[in-house]
Amino acid sequence: MQADLMGLLKSKITYGWLIAAVFLEIIARPPFGTTSLVLAQGLSYLFYIWSMLIIGIAASAVASESGEFADSLMSKPIRRYDYILAKFSSRTCYVMIVYLLIIAVLVPLSLRAALNDYEVYGLIASISLVALTLVMLTSLGVTLSTLFPNVVVPIVILLILWYAMTFFFPLLDPSLNLLSPSYLVSQLPSIAQGVYTGEEWKTVASFAAITIASAALATVYFSEKDL
Amino acid sequence: MPPIIETVNLTKIFGNRLIAVNNMNLQVEEGATYGLLGPNGAGKTTLIRLLLGLIKPTAGEVRVFGKGMTINSADLRQRIGYLPTNPKFPPRMTPITYLDFIGRLFNMGRDEWMNRLSKLLRAVDLLPSASREIKGFSTGMVTRLGLAASLMNDPDLLILDEPTSGLDPAGRKSTLDLLEEIGKKKTILISSHILSDIDRICNYVGIINEGKVISSGSIKDMKKLIKNNVVRLEIEGDLEPLCTRLRSIEGITSVDEKEDFILDIALDDKAPSTQIVREIVDLVSDSGLDLISINSSTSRIEDAFLKLTKEEESTGFLRAVKS
Repeated sequence: MQADLMGLLKSKITYGWLIAAVFLEIIARPPFGTTSLVLAQGLSYLFYIWSMLIIGIAASAVASESGEFADSLMSKPIRRYDYILAKFSSRTCYVMIVYLLIIAVLVPLSLRAALNDYEVYGLIASISLVALTLVMLTSLGVTLSTLFPNVVVPIVILLILWYAMTFFFPLLDPSLNLLSPSYLVSQLPSIAQGVYTGEEWKTVASFAAITIASAALATVYFSEKDL
Repeated sequence: MPPIIETVNLTKIFGNRLIAVNNMNLQVEEGATYGLLGPNGAGKTTLIRLLLGLIKPTAGEVRVFGKGMTINSADLRQRIGYLPTNPKFPPRMTPITYLDFIGRLFNMGRDEWMNRLSKLLRAVDLLPSASREIKGFSTGMVTRLGLAASLMNDPDLLILDEPTSGLDPAGRKSTLDLLEEIGKKKTILISSHILSDIDRICNYVGIINEGKVISSGSIKDMKKLIKNNVVRLEIEGDLEPLCTRLRSIEGITSVDEKEDFILDIALDDKAPSTQIVREIVDLVSDSGLDLISINSSTSRIEDAFLKLTKEEESTGFLRAVKS
């Protein structure tokens, strides 16, 4: 896990991502917005833009190491579930580290908005909800990566799934709003203000269930599959 | 004492289509340097991946160190070193960081791995490049690093898949020298289709073709099996008159001219070979030709390999019906 995480953190992708994200947060923030709006807009970039990077990083976790590299690694005294859990942990930690660095820029920026309309617990709740969504996306990516030996296939599947969840789920059925990142973005300003609909727990439960189920599926499947 | 490696009716079928390993029974005893010979696609790499528990058998059993090998047999892999064909490493790591990583995977103590790491880097001649990123390494350097990584845990069993593949002559020689040295203390299984490598470093050999072991035994037994008594001469000059005179010597069964300077002279198994060879040399000397080289063992293991695979192909159906 440590080797994988350090490899990711030292990569050029990380530096590029952080620089681009901070730049975007600074130049694209609304000049006369409130704290909750600036925060919601800043967080929305993670769903609409940076999710592509997260998908690429998560969905290449296992598939990119198939072949000789996997053989070299798995011929060592490693149990399959050790390997797959290390992949989940390293990719999730990586996404969370980058996310927290972005948050470290975004929160002070939003607090400097013209009108402070936030509530502390609401602010924490909105940041946590987005974090949970990103963890779910990472988990789905790693799971798909164990199912397909080719890196491109899980990336394409997850891109389609993610953007379908984001843009098409709300159009299909209002009850699917719970699973829609775009719906969540629309709710973020209210949540940051401490105004809840009472339905947020359903989103939390759904995303947490998807995360746990996909991680369990990947662990069971990878523990039995031929490399 | 149980064999270090034992397969019992081992079978691997990929996707109900390709039979890669077919009811294979193989034994490798402790201390042996066992060469696994076979043409491309014979099932060598699949067999190795089964031995390491990287893939599951469709039927049959793999036993290593007397215990059943499964996908999660981490305890057995703790005692195995493995070098895949064309090994791949994280390109941004250096030999030191990579071997450090491998040492950690084997749960080695820091003192132990530090000591071993420097010894191994010296042994594979990578000490000058120890701090360079792997991405700039040549094939030979990558193979040598793979070899060092496979020895990091001081394994009881070393499994090498085509260890000299892609190496230049110097790299190949140094790798074989190193393996020869390691073979004095460890059990080694080497897969290769470079027959001269197997001939040089192995004391046991198994020939596999189409997923089956068609012959297994000591190199000596293998050579006895194909005793041809062929003497090869490399000669400068006109070979025609010499060939005619050679054919008249009693005990020579055939004289084949290969290219314009090589003669393969087959001797009768029952004829006194020492005397005939002396006569051949005298004849060459009398003819005033320049003898470049003479040898009687070139390609012997290749002959064994070709003979056995050919026999297997012609009798395979019959054997299948009988069994």
